Amino acid sequence: MRQSVSLVTQRLKDLGAAVRSGNLFVLEAHVSVTGEQLMYRFFFRVCLVVLAIITLDARIEASAQQPVRKPSAPNARIFFVDLKDGATVPSKLKIRFGIENMEVAPAGTVKPNTGHHHLLIDTGLPPLDQPIPSDFNHIHFGGGQIEAEITLPAGEHTLQLLLGDQSHIPHQPPVFSEVIHVRVDPATVEKARTPAPAGAGVFFVEPADGATVGRKLTVKFGISGMELVPAGTSKPNSGHHHLLIDAPLPAFDREIPSDLNHVHFGRAQTEAEINLTPGDHTLQLLLGDHEHIAHDPPVFSKVIHIHVADAAPDKAPPQAAAADGRRPSPPDAAVYFIYPGNGERIYPNSTIRFGLRNMGVAPAGVFKPNTGHHHLMIDVETPPLDRPLPSDLNHIHFGNGQTEKKITLSPGEHTLQLILADEKHMPHDPPVISERIKVTVKAAVRPPARRRFRR
Amino acid sequence: MIVLRKPFAKAGPLNILMAALVLAWTALQMVPARAATTASAPGAVVYFHYPLDGARVPQRFTVKIGLKEMGVAPAGVVKEFTGHHHLLVDTDMVPLDQPIPSDYNHIHLGNGQTETVLTLPPGTHTLQLLLGDHQHIPHQPPVMSKKITIYVR
Repeated sequence: MRQSVSLVTQRLKDLGAAVRSGNLFVLEAHVSVTGEQLMYRFFFRVCLVVLAIITLDARIEASAQQPVRKPSAPNARIFFVDLKDGATVPSKLKIRFGIENMEVAPAGTVKPNTGHHHLLIDTGLPPLDQPIPSDFNHIHFGGGQIEAEITLPAGEHTLQLLLGDQSHIPHQPPVFSEVIHVRVDPATVEKARTPAPAGAGVFFVEPADGATVGRKLTVKFGISGMELVPAGTSKPNSGHHHLLIDAPLPAFDREIPSDLNHVHFGRAQTEAEINLTPGDHTLQLLLGDHEHIAHDPPVFSKVIHIHVADAAPDKAPPQAAAADGRRPSPPDAAVYFIYPGNGERIYPNSTIRFGLRNMGVAPAGVFKPNTGHHHLMIDVETPPLDRPLPSDLNHIHFGNGQTEKKITLSPGEHTLQLILADEKHMPHDPPVISERIKVTVKAAVRPPARRRFRR
Repeated sequence: MIVLRKPFAKAGPLNILMAALVLAWTALQMVPARAATTASAPGAVVYFHYPLDGARVPQRFTVKIGLKEMGVAPAGVVKEFTGHHHLLVDTDMVPLDQPIPSDYNHIHLGNGQTETVLTLPPGTHTLQLLLGDHQHIPHQPPVMSKKITIYVR
C-alpha cells in the first residue's frame, strides 16, 4: 500500500515537473514496475530533466532579451498641442507636445510615471517591447523637451508621438498619441543653397599663416571667381565674407552664426580690425550668400594659424599701452552683492556675500581666462582701475577665492563696493565692478540671527 | 617578523595563525592606495543662495551658490582650502572617494563659477551641491549641501 502511494506521489511529481517545464507529451502512464521498466523509467527521467533544463534555460534567455517595460500611469495621454489632423503647415514648424497624468523627464531619469517624447514621422508604431529606434523617422527628445522645431519636405506627412521610458522603451500599456496627417505648403519649403561656380575661392591676404602679430591686428581677405556683394543682395555667383576665429566650419545648411567667433562682413568689406587675446589662434574665411548661408559647394579658405604676442608690437596705438596687462573680461560679466542690499540696515558683525555672473572665481596668483577674485572696498572711492588694487583695511582682498566674508563695521553709515581683479589684483578690461552700496550699521544689541542655514 | 623566521614545517597551530595574520596584514598593505583626498576647512559649508528648498521656479533659472569658510578655485588649481562647485541634479550622492562624474546630472563648475543657469522640464527636481578638489574628488570631510527639492512650473 505504502509503495503504491509513493508511486502515485512520484508520478504526480513527474506530472508537475512536466507541466512546469511545458512538456506535456510526457504524460505517459507507468502501469507496472518491472526491472526493465524501471530502467526505462530511469532513462526517461534523465531525458525529462535534460528537457526541463533546456526549456527553462531558453525561457530565462528569452526573458533576458525582453527588456522590462515600465508601467504607465492609468489615463496617461500624450498629444500634439494646437496641431489638428489634416492641417496645412509650413515646412519649418514648431510642434508642442502635451502630456497628461504622467511627467516628462530626461532620458536616463529613473522615476515612476515619467518618460520622454519620441516623434514618429511618416512611420507606424515601432515594436513596443524594444527601444524605439533613433533615425530620421524616429526623433528622440531625450532632454525632456516639450517642443521642437522640425523641417518637413513638401507633401503629405503623418506625425505621431510615443512616450518612452528612461531606456527609450515604450511603457506598458504604451502611451502614444493619435496619428496626425499634415500637408506641408510647398511655398514654404526652403530653397536649396545658392550654387557656387567651380573654382571659386576665398583667401587671406594678411596675416600670413604662422605669423606672429599684435593684439590688435588687421585682417585682409580676397575672393576669386565670384563677386562680392553686401548681405541681402541676391545675385548669382556672389556672396560676402565671414571670418571664423578659433571656430570650426559651422553647419552649411543654415545661417552662419553671428557672434565673437563668427564675424560677418555684410557690407562686403575686404578687411577688418580685430582684437585677440595673447596666444595661438586660428582664422578661416567662409563665404555666405544673401541670407548668410554657405554656398553649394561651400566656399571657404584654408585655416591659418597665428600667434598673438603678449607685448603689443610697434604698430599698436600708444593708448593701448596703458591698458596693457589688463585681462579682458566677457562683455556680460557682473559682480554684485547678494547680501546686503543697497540701503539695508545690517548688524555690526555681518557676513557680506558676493555674487559673480558669467565669470569664475580663481585665487590670486592663478590665471585662467574669464576668472578673477573679489575685492571689497569699504568706505573708499573707486580706486584707479588701471593699476593693481591696493591692499589695506579699506581694500580687502579675497585671494583665496572666498565668496563671502564676515566683517565688523562700526555703527553708522558705510559704503561697500566689489571689484573683480585678475591674478595680480589688476582689474579687468572692461572692469567688472559692482555698484557702490550704502549700508547702515545698527548698534549691537544681539548677535544677528542666522537666516539661511544651520550647522 | 620573528614568526616568519621559524621553519614552517614544524609550525604549530598558533604559529600558523600568526603567520596567516601577518600575511593578511601584508595583503591589506598591498591594496592599491586610494587617490589622496584633500582636506576641507573646518566649518566649511556650501549652500544654495537660490533656489531654496521647496521653491517654485521657472523652467530656466539661475542657481546661486554660497560657500562659507573656503574659497573657490577653478578645476586643476591646487590651493589649500579651495575647491570648485558641482551641482547634482536629480541624482543621489556620488561615491565620495572618486572623481565626481561629469554628465547632465553632475554639472561641473570647473571655471570657478558661483552661479549657473539651469533649464529643467516642468515637475519636481532635486538639487544638491558638492565641492570637489582640483581633481574633482570631494574633500575630506566632504563639503556638501543638503538635497533640496524644487518645483519647476
